[in-house]
Amino acid sequence: MIRYLAKRALTYVFMIFLTTTAGYFLAVNTLQPALLEQERIPRPTPEQVANSFRLKGLDPDLSPWERYVGWLTAIVTRWDWGRSPNGAFINAEFGDRVWISTRLFLASIVLTLIIGVALGVYTAARQYRASDRVITSYSYLVYIVPAPIAYFLVQLGAININETVGERIFFVTGISTPGLDGGGWAQFVDMLAHYAVPTFAITIVGWGTYQIAQRQYLLDNVNADFVRTARAKGLTRNQAISRHALRVSFIPVAQSIAFTIPAIFAGGFFAEKIFAWHGVGSWSIDAIALQDVNAATATLAYGSVIFAIGAILADFATTLVDPRVRVQ
Amino acid sequence: MSHEMTAGTESADLSAELSAIERLHVAGLHAAGDAPADAVLSVRDLNVRFNTENGVVHAVRGIDFDLRAGKTLGIVGESGSGKSVTSMAIMGLLPPTAEITGSVRLQGKELLGLSDKAMCQYRGNDIAMVFQDPLSSLTPVYTVGNQIIEALTVHNPTMSKQAKEARAVELLGMVGIPSPKDRIKAFPHEFSGGMRQRVMIAIAIANNPRVLIADEPTTALDVTIQAQVLEVLHAAQEETGAAVVMITHDLGVVAGMADDIMVMYAGKPVETGSVDDIYYNPRMPYTMGLLGAVPRVDAAEKSSLVPIEGIPPNLIHPPTGCSFAPRCPLASDACLHGEPELRPVTGASLNGGLPHRAACLKTGSLGPDVDVREVFRAPAVPVSHFDAIPRAERRTVLELRDVRKHFPLMKGALIKRRIGTVKAVDGLSFDIREGECFSIVGESGCGKTTTLLEIMEFHKDQDGEVVIGGLSNKEASDAKTKSAMRKELQMVFQDPTGALDPRFTVFEVLSEPLENAGMAKPQIRKRIMELMELVGLQPDHVNRFPNQFSGGQRQRIGIARALAVNPKLVVLDEPVSALDVSVQAGVINLLDQLRAELGLSYLMVAHDLSVVRHVSNRVAVMYLGKIVEIGDVDSVFDNPRHPYTRALLSAIPVPDPVLERTRERIILQGDLPSPLEAPTGCNFATRCPVFVALPPAKQEKCLSLEPGLATVAETTGAGHPFPAAPIDQQFACFYPDGELDADMLVVHETN
Repeated sequence: MIRYLAKRALTYVFMIFLTTTAGYFLAVNTLQPALLEQERIPRPTPEQVANSFRLKGLDPDLSPWERYVGWLTAIVTRWDWGRSPNGAFINAEFGDRVWISTRLFLASIVLTLIIGVALGVYTAARQYRASDRVITSYSYLVYIVPAPIAYFLVQLGAININETVGERIFFVTGISTPGLDGGGWAQFVDMLAHYAVPTFAITIVGWGTYQIAQRQYLLDNVNADFVRTARAKGLTRNQAISRHALRVSFIPVAQSIAFTIPAIFAGGFFAEKIFAWHGVGSWSIDAIALQDVNAATATLAYGSVIFAIGAILADFATTLVDPRVRVQ
Repeated sequence: MSHEMTAGTESADLSAELSAIERLHVAGLHAAGDAPADAVLSVRDLNVRFNTENGVVHAVRGIDFDLRAGKTLGIVGESGSGKSVTSMAIMGLLPPTAEITGSVRLQGKELLGLSDKAMCQYRGNDIAMVFQDPLSSLTPVYTVGNQIIEALTVHNPTMSKQAKEARAVELLGMVGIPSPKDRIKAFPHEFSGGMRQRVMIAIAIANNPRVLIADEPTTALDVTIQAQVLEVLHAAQEETGAAVVMITHDLGVVAGMADDIMVMYAGKPVETGSVDDIYYNPRMPYTMGLLGAVPRVDAAEKSSLVPIEGIPPNLIHPPTGCSFAPRCPLASDACLHGEPELRPVTGASLNGGLPHRAACLKTGSLGPDVDVREVFRAPAVPVSHFDAIPRAERRTVLELRDVRKHFPLMKGALIKRRIGTVKAVDGLSFDIREGECFSIVGESGCGKTTTLLEIMEFHKDQDGEVVIGGLSNKEASDAKTKSAMRKELQMVFQDPTGALDPRFTVFEVLSEPLENAGMAKPQIRKRIMELMELVGLQPDHVNRFPNQFSGGQRQRIGIARALAVNPKLVVLDEPVSALDVSVQAGVINLLDQLRAELGLSYLMVAHDLSVVRHVSNRVAVMYLGKIVEIGDVDSVFDNPRHPYTRALLSAIPVPDPVLERTRERIILQGDLPSPLEAPTGCNFATRCPVFVALPPAKQEKCLSLEPGLATVAETTGAGHPFPAAPIDQQFACFYPDGELDADMLVVHETN
């Protein structure tokens, strides 16, 4: 199994390289940071702009291929992802951004998965009863409500609670209170107060997908022939479902995780903007707006890596639950 | 007002009480001792109703039987007759929405009305079941050992882990799985269909059940594997002494196994009795029709099959008269008023089993002397004008010369490398003459379907030559030749439902090939009316959609579509395997008639050798991509030379209880080997019953040399009436007269 996963990982490394290369060429050919420089006051001369870019390794006179070779060499030899047009180093900013994104989304993703799958099983076992109808309708509702609206609603709710209590319990934006004094406990409470609202918002919007999928796949298997066989052995209906149908129904859900985790991480710019956590998602949008070739490519590479991690996790989960994948 | 209300509640109470009383009454019948004391399973007045959107479907309407230990009851009927629902009701596996009344007693204990939990004490312990589809009946994510052990754990919580494992190995060995100690750790997908059904049987007999229900246990399997699994079931019954309920649509399968038979129609038993009563002295027109509708693999003499017109009734509307009356040729007015009850047949022998009873008003006038063909007005055997012309003088409509189709087997994700070759079709040569039916038979995976696809492909890059009506794939395979070829050759598919576009009316289905051929609109209309009549459909039904027809009628539409452009040759890919027995007979008769009337030739692929024998003139037996025996159908079937043909023919159950009980059968070991492991010598050596018994020197020859097709020597036809005429039969075997291995021969003792 280790060999199988290692082989998959190798494939993904190759895939990341391909997407990043393609992304770089796309960015280098379309993004024109020089145009933005023209809007500065006082307006710099074209020579000044070219000169400043040359110093930052963004020489616009070189051909895309030459720039690509230089960029790639820097990454491979020095792990240097280049600089932004404003002079900032990608490597420095990247670390901060990734750490912020990870903190913002990790807890939500874990909660989303657990709650979604658990509710899916719960509702499948109670098909067409009131609890199933309420939960499944809710899932379809969040399916169609755009995420930003849901986030704003949660923010409003948190503000309402704050106002009702008359004290600021929840922070609806930001990562931490700047310049907060006090010991570890005060820091911890502050962190929780900042964490609660975004995590809650992202989780309640996210679990619907998994709930619907898990419910559907389990229902497909509840009346499967092998569940009937299990019942014919002398297992009760519930025993047969939990021992036989559940594991089989989780296989497609595990596979779908691969495609949702990167979407949440890299595509989370709405959450990052609304809750003012400046992570990778908002950076990627900003990078395009600022015509920043290196930052845009770096966020793309990051998205590919996250996708690969999600896919490997899904492969791992699939190999765990499905013996048919193991034999090769 | 209030008085009325009380009255209302009172009557509701009363009805509730009444049903309880009814229940008690039925149970009381049991207590009174009408069930024999030695019966392990007694069913009385079993009724099952389903609430559907269209109304209440009364799927099972009053079933009674007693089953004694070690005996086998066969429940026979077509799809929708309620036989599976009956078995599921006994097992308590129907959905809770099903309304079940009556009584099911297992060793004196009432099972109906027990909760799911209470029922679990019996399921898998005293009463076990084997299901139809072995591919989907095992959980894919657990090892087979796990699944057997689970059955042991549920009912023996104190059993030690080692003991359970030992028992699982023992069970796997018992059902004939080689090296059970290693295979216990295998997952279901590592097993073939037949092996999985053996595992299912092992699970079912794990706790030595008193009653074993087998619901179409071999329907999804090849004939040779079916023979193996039936042997395993037989052995399992002897081992456990269980009573067996065998549910099937195949009258051949139960003939050799069952002691008693119950024939079901429209949810009701219409005839019950011992096997001999049912097969040799049927007293209900439906039973007679069913028996007459099955072609016999052992009968050379050609006679039309008995078609039962019409379709079974819809059970949403309770039948007012005999449910079979609308399809019965003997029905009179009396049959339409009141459903006939099962009544003892006069002069029936009492042999301790199920008494011979039939639900028919005309029982008295029926009996073994009545000719079923006359009763059902079976058509006369159609005679083709080609029959009189010797085969050699007829035109060739299709010829294959050394056709091969090899698939490379690749491995690797990014860089593929070839690790072997699957020889799906390996050097096939045969020809089909005008007016004849040529069939290809063999187990699944032997290359039958690939052969058809190769013929339909008709491309010049193919390996080998295909000549259709004088057009060769080697010479010109441009669009024009191809469309000319399509006019010569058309195809009828296996699944009539899947082969017809559900959004096309019959008219559109039939007009498409005609428009393609460039026919004018008014002529198309005329031709379609002609076609509808030709295949026995009402011409005014052309504006209906396929879903408004029954399965048999849909297959007729498929045949009409194939005949639209007047082809010389029709390729039939399992034309009747998706149809019920009674409907199948009608379609086979139609095919026979069309061949005679239109002078068609058929190339048929079928797994049912009885159908092949009935329809074909010539037959080829395929094994792993090669023809192992080919020739005139009667020569091959009556005097099979190749050991594989002998095994294949011996595996077919015949609907004749006496013959089934006494005949010797060859049970092949194992499954069709993977084409990758095809040996250098004779392909069949790995499973050959003759090979095993050969001395080593001769075995060496089989393993190193590939036998070619040889004509049956004249000498073998010493007793042949026309020794001068060459026999149309070729086979590929070095030792056709070799002794058969004793281990692979099974004779059942008559008991």
